[in-house]
Amino acid sequence: MRSVLRSRAPKSLALASLCAVAFAACTHELVGPDPAPDDAPADPVLVDLPSLPYPVLSTYRFFVGELDQLEPNAGVLPFAPINALFTDYAHKNRFVWMPAGAQASYVSDHEPLEFEEGTVLIKNFWYDNTAPDGERRIIETRLMFRRNGAWEFANYIWNPEQTEAYLDMGGGYLPIAWTDSEHGAMSTTYRIPSASECFTCHKVNTDPLPIGPKPRNLNVDMAYPDGTMNQLDRWVQEGYLAPGFPSGIQATPDWTEASLPVVDRVRGYLDMQCAHCHSDERHCDYRPLRLALPDTQDPVNLGVCVLPDDPIDASVTHIVAAGDTTRSMMHLRLSSTDGSVRMPLLGRTLVHREGLALINEWISSLGPPCP
Amino acid sequence: MKPLFPLTLALLGTLPTLAQDNCASAVPITAGTYVVSTVNGNQVPSPICAPNGAGASAGEWYSYTPTSNYTVTINTAIGALTDSRVHVYLGGCGALACVAGDDDSGVNNTALLTFNVAAGFTYIIAFDNRWSSSGFTFQLVESPIVIPVFSFSPLTLPAGIGSTVAAVDMNGDHLDDVVRVTELQITINHQQTGGGLVQTVFPTDTADTTPYWSLAAGDLDGNGYNDLLYAGGSATFMLANADATAYIENSQTEWIFCQRSNFVDINNDGHLDAFVCHDVEPNVYYLNDGQGNLTYYQGGLGDTPDGGNYGSIWVDYDNDHDVDLFIAKCRGGVGPANIDQLHRNNGDGTWTEVAALMNLADNQQSWSSAWGDYDNDGDMDVLQGASSFTNGGHKLMRNDGSTFTNVTVGSGFDVHSGQSIEWITHDFDNDGWLDVLGGGKLLRNNGDMTFSLHTVTPTNGPVGDLDNDGYLDIVNGGTVHMNALTGNNWLKVTLEGTVSNTSGIGARVEIQTPAGTQIRDIRSGDGFRYMSTLNAHFGLGQESQVDQITVYWTSGIVDVISAPAINGTVHVIEGLSTGVATVTPEATLSTFPNPVDNVLYLSSSLPLRNANATVLNTAGQPVLRSVLREATLDIAGLAPGVYVLQVEQEGTLLQERFVKR
Repeated sequence: MRSVLRSRAPKSLALASLCAVAFAACTHELVGPDPAPDDAPADPVLVDLPSLPYPVLSTYRFFVGELDQLEPNAGVLPFAPINALFTDYAHKNRFVWMPAGAQASYVSDHEPLEFEEGTVLIKNFWYDNTAPDGERRIIETRLMFRRNGAWEFANYIWNPEQTEAYLDMGGGYLPIAWTDSEHGAMSTTYRIPSASECFTCHKVNTDPLPIGPKPRNLNVDMAYPDGTMNQLDRWVQEGYLAPGFPSGIQATPDWTEASLPVVDRVRGYLDMQCAHCHSDERHCDYRPLRLALPDTQDPVNLGVCVLPDDPIDASVTHIVAAGDTTRSMMHLRLSSTDGSVRMPLLGRTLVHREGLALINEWISSLGPPCP
Repeated sequence: MKPLFPLTLALLGTLPTLAQDNCASAVPITAGTYVVSTVNGNQVPSPICAPNGAGASAGEWYSYTPTSNYTVTINTAIGALTDSRVHVYLGGCGALACVAGDDDSGVNNTALLTFNVAAGFTYIIAFDNRWSSSGFTFQLVESPIVIPVFSFSPLTLPAGIGSTVAAVDMNGDHLDDVVRVTELQITINHQQTGGGLVQTVFPTDTADTTPYWSLAAGDLDGNGYNDLLYAGGSATFMLANADATAYIENSQTEWIFCQRSNFVDINNDGHLDAFVCHDVEPNVYYLNDGQGNLTYYQGGLGDTPDGGNYGSIWVDYDNDHDVDLFIAKCRGGVGPANIDQLHRNNGDGTWTEVAALMNLADNQQSWSSAWGDYDNDGDMDVLQGASSFTNGGHKLMRNDGSTFTNVTVGSGFDVHSGQSIEWITHDFDNDGWLDVLGGGKLLRNNGDMTFSLHTVTPTNGPVGDLDNDGYLDIVNGGTVHMNALTGNNWLKVTLEGTVSNTSGIGARVEIQTPAGTQIRDIRSGDGFRYMSTLNAHFGLGQESQVDQITVYWTSGIVDVISAPAINGTVHVIEGLSTGVATVTPEATLSTFPNPVDNVLYLSSSLPLRNANATVLNTAGQPVLRSVLREATLDIAGLAPGVYVLQVEQEGTLLQERFVKR
């Protein structure tokens, strides 16, 4: 029997050790009969497009055995972009499923793959070691599915018993407390997004769009049950990606990789946290930042010595004031939890301490002072 | 000697000044150049007269006693470009009171401060290390005095927790107060009748949301005291109790990505409702049935599926005396969400979106708009101020009745490079012409639809008259920037609705003067975030009389007050200010109380027993007939409104107006 955390294979050696720790922490859950013995294939995934979204998650049969083990069914392929959006320290894993014969195709290094009708992207959100009893608590499973040539959203909220998740497009709040080895005791009121919140980030103009599955985000090894492999190669092997895309796709810099130059780590970080709004034709393209990876070669697009449209706080002089975090809007935005000041506005109520430390390190390293 | 000192300094190069560690040891200086070797004096300047609040731990102190009236400039960008900050005081070391201050107006965050001084007064000048303790050189330059167009003096409020969100009356005296809130308390600095702001903290139950996007105030429950609406991730109401000594938390459950919020009587039933712009969905509102019930609605007042609604403002653009709704909209990319909307109130509960028809359907990126009668021709014009220039700049649109005409070119807004999410209009210099605050400038209305740009210390914040001097003040954080101008005449009108909502929100107040007409709409919520005064404020310039005040209430009632005294406040109670004037000279009729709930008491110079009494509504239709048996009339069955009582006895017809609550 495998746990979801084992199948949520690491994307790098650095993360492999973290994952192992997390796995050890939750092995006590893994009791009971094997839900999916290898010699008894489960019923296949059920995606009848006209009937979507189903009222409950289990209907799709994305996962076999006990639902809360999140054990992927045949054809449900795990994937992990190099950088992950910070969502109040929630753990996540992601899967893609496609109907027979469908496959994605390469558009460019920096744009999401072009997916075919019936494709489903699946993303689970959970916390480990939650209060009061140290259990893992899965909160939600978000789907994007491709129907009639467009993406649609479906969100499933898990019951406290962790036996089922129910379609709910209205969003909600869940107070949650947990402990992790890096931060100790943590808590927040977790925001489960409504459909309009999903759309706010996942769109170009008024068309819904996935964010993570871009070739450069997937161009990294992942540990699969049968061995470690580059994700793009694995997708091709699975029949999920049309071969023939260009070689030499530049991988997104991993913001956690301390050996990389700090500016590259910052670019990788901002690309995943911010670029879905701060890019052309996106929600906030009327502000000067352009934070997608191809744009941030230019420090002006990162906001270095750029005047803010609206300073919010009179002490802020530039979006990024070279060498001076306290005069930098980016620092203010990332260190705030005020609902109208924090960035990103959605998906975060806590400060991402590690991300903020990276931004501060970068700002402090910049010079000379802005004129 | 004065010119010699700086000359000497110049010859000697940089001379460190000593002994300026505290106010008592402040070094007397005159015009010249001085070196601060390091900011390490033990007295931290307080109160804080410059932007950016607390955080300093040391100061350097000087004193300066001008021999003439001057305009003085202090500039710290003479040598090293240290991030310095300066405060200027009067009042002596025991009672330092802010005169002026600056943090970042010079290059590289140096201080550059210009202020006026009077001969013979001793000004204390103090630098602090809010940003840096490093040394710098500063220069004090005296110039012939220039009287500024706008002038504000900072007043630091006692420390209060929470962001400042409102300058509005909270205790029913129609004097503006300062409101700061957190999820656990409301801090109110109540303006006293004799002047001064007295701070009281009102603990509250935990609000589900703070007003991190916007706040509105209005008397939701009609008890005579303004209530608050916190608009953040949902809507929380804070309802003043019967004597405004406590605030009762009422958090609504609906998730809303709030932006501008307003109190307004959407369905014109006499009870305030609450409207909230939704950033990413159609707009929402809570209808108030007047019985303490709020009902949530979404749809009908701005239905763009993905929202883009930022700056709602309720304004009577077509002079039909009901409130219309303009929404400043903003959104990246291509789509309808950034096209501004104007919802015309058809007066029958229906609304028609007419922005395109009225030439206001603009995709410019705006978070608020400033509506006012900029040319004093009797209708509301609009400054569509840009938050970003990506889809076009500021637009000044003149109301020509059937359309709005773009008169931006040459207006001053075409050369205003500042952008902001806040755009509001008030008459800050009391010259009788509405000015605009936004984009980091105060734009003075020159009276001909052109505006001149002026740099002032305060930025956008709640606006009210916090010292009751008839000039409007601006609150920024914990500082009240008191308007320091004098000399122009003014008039304020405060409202008390009886049939309409008690706050008078949505009413049109019009004054007639020999020079013409000025109009104001009473608004709960203008600009993007803050709540400003609910009192109608008019500057009169040098005009010395107002011929008439007319108040058009949302009920349809019209009150007219003739020849009010100026440089003061006129309080108008709905329905009590229009004389029907048909009382015969030799006979009188009066009623009590007024407004009245159920029983009207009558008194007359004529005998009332067996007199015929008729009550007429405002349309002149009889709604109640009775033969009086005693000097009372039971009017419990009448709907709230304004009525005329006619009493006929001995061939004489007496009339008197009254208001049924």
